Amino acid sequence: MTDTKHHESEGASLQGRLFRPQTSAELAEAVEQAFDYRGDVTLRLGTGAAITGYIFNRGTTGGHAYLEILVEGEASPRQVDYRDIRELVFSGEDTASGKSWDVWVAKKESQRAAEAAQVANEARARGHL
Amino acid sequence: MAVPVSQAYTVAKYVLTQRVKGVRRYPLVLMLEPLFRCNLACAGCGKIQYPDHVLDRRLTPEQCWAAADECGAPMVSIPGGEPLIHPEMPEIVRGLVARKKYVYLCTNALLLERKLDEYTPSQYLTFSIHMDGLKEEHDHAVCRDGVYDVAVRAIRAALKRGHRVTSNTTLFDDARPDRVRAFFDEMMTLGVEGMMLSPGYSYQKAPDQHHFLKRQRTRELFAEILRDRKRKWRFNQSPMFLEFLMGRIDYQCTPWGNPTYNVFGWQRPCYLLQDGYARTFRELMEQTDWDLYGTGRHEKCADCMVHCGYEASAVNDTFGSLAGFARTVRAVLLPNRTSSEPPAPTISPRYDGHQTSRV
Repeated sequence: MTDTKHHESEGASLQGRLFRPQTSAELAEAVEQAFDYRGDVTLRLGTGAAITGYIFNRGTTGGHAYLEILVEGEASPRQVDYRDIRELVFSGEDTASGKSWDVWVAKKESQRAAEAAQVANEARARGHL
Repeated sequence: MAVPVSQAYTVAKYVLTQRVKGVRRYPLVLMLEPLFRCNLACAGCGKIQYPDHVLDRRLTPEQCWAAADECGAPMVSIPGGEPLIHPEMPEIVRGLVARKKYVYLCTNALLLERKLDEYTPSQYLTFSIHMDGLKEEHDHAVCRDGVYDVAVRAIRAALKRGHRVTSNTTLFDDARPDRVRAFFDEMMTLGVEGMMLSPGYSYQKAPDQHHFLKRQRTRELFAEILRDRKRKWRFNQSPMFLEFLMGRIDYQCTPWGNPTYNVFGWQRPCYLLQDGYARTFRELMEQTDWDLYGTGRHEKCADCMVHCGYEASAVNDTFGSLAGFARTVRAVLLPNRTSSEPPAPTISPRYDGHQTSRV
């Protein structure tokens, strides 16, 4: 079956932004943005603890909203209740930023060639080519 | 049709069994994504943009087999990422073949020649090679020169060893019908069993959506590409899906037809949209509000005509009624009929992923 390209927004990236929601609606909106973000997010909790990872899911259980986050080095995802979150920081690189087709086409041929070579070199270094 | 009789029989038997049992929603193809890591970085690809620690995650063979058992679909498509990167892919495939699943291993073929020894030819295993057109178009689409030539060599090698090989092609709004038709000729000359087509589609609210195909443009493009179809062209997909792409019939989406399982779990609602994940296939099927999705129901689905949503609709149409079966026979026997021929009867709208109306 075919894979299908889709373009991520080339609008301003959220990378580096910090959200300190004051209401449950603001919190829900911030989590939605974190859910759509293609990079790691750091959650600062009411306990003072911080969790950094990739937010891939959200839902509700027992009347409580929660999100699921994959933390580097951990096999299973962690579940975090919305009510425990105080801050969200878009701390990781936005891996979708600048990766659209149009951005690629707009680049100079030399830039495209250099990037293609870099991707190939990285794949080769991992033993994937 | 390029699909072998044994496979067509298996799928027909499966679909008819589901219908006799009164199962309203059932999967047709499991989309199994064992990893997101790729050895290409095609611009705009939405499947590979994750942090490294996510790209380094892989499904184990046991997870893959459990997903296939849980889902029960007769066919398993393995996209990615690049599946051949996965060190346990031969074992995964062996396990699926042992379960008599028809496996489509979707690959860019960069590693295929090197890894062919690890796979045993089988009626249940098909290498589905990503080919987005002739050399110029394909290398442009995958953002690296030379990939087309590597893929062609790999196809020849795989065919020589007795493997089933198909091509799979995604077409965007810059596709030139004459070049696509020449590409079909090339694939047939190469000897692939059949070709798979799908329009590219973006669901994101992106400023550059113009590059993707809108519905009307999709119909015009495919009608032009598939007009005066040559007898030698073989397509490894439902004839009614091609009719759908050409605008001869309209379907509503069947998002549960190609359920997707990957390192995050069972993806809601489909292969393209990521609206969250379920832990089990049953949870996916029973707790997803399917009525939210599909053309006319969800903004992200507005222009989608992609195989993962509509091929199952086409197959359901074929086996859903005598009229649907007759339409399919007509599409197979008379692919080049003109619009002056009598149209098929209009079918009332339904909400379980079947036909909605004629165009």
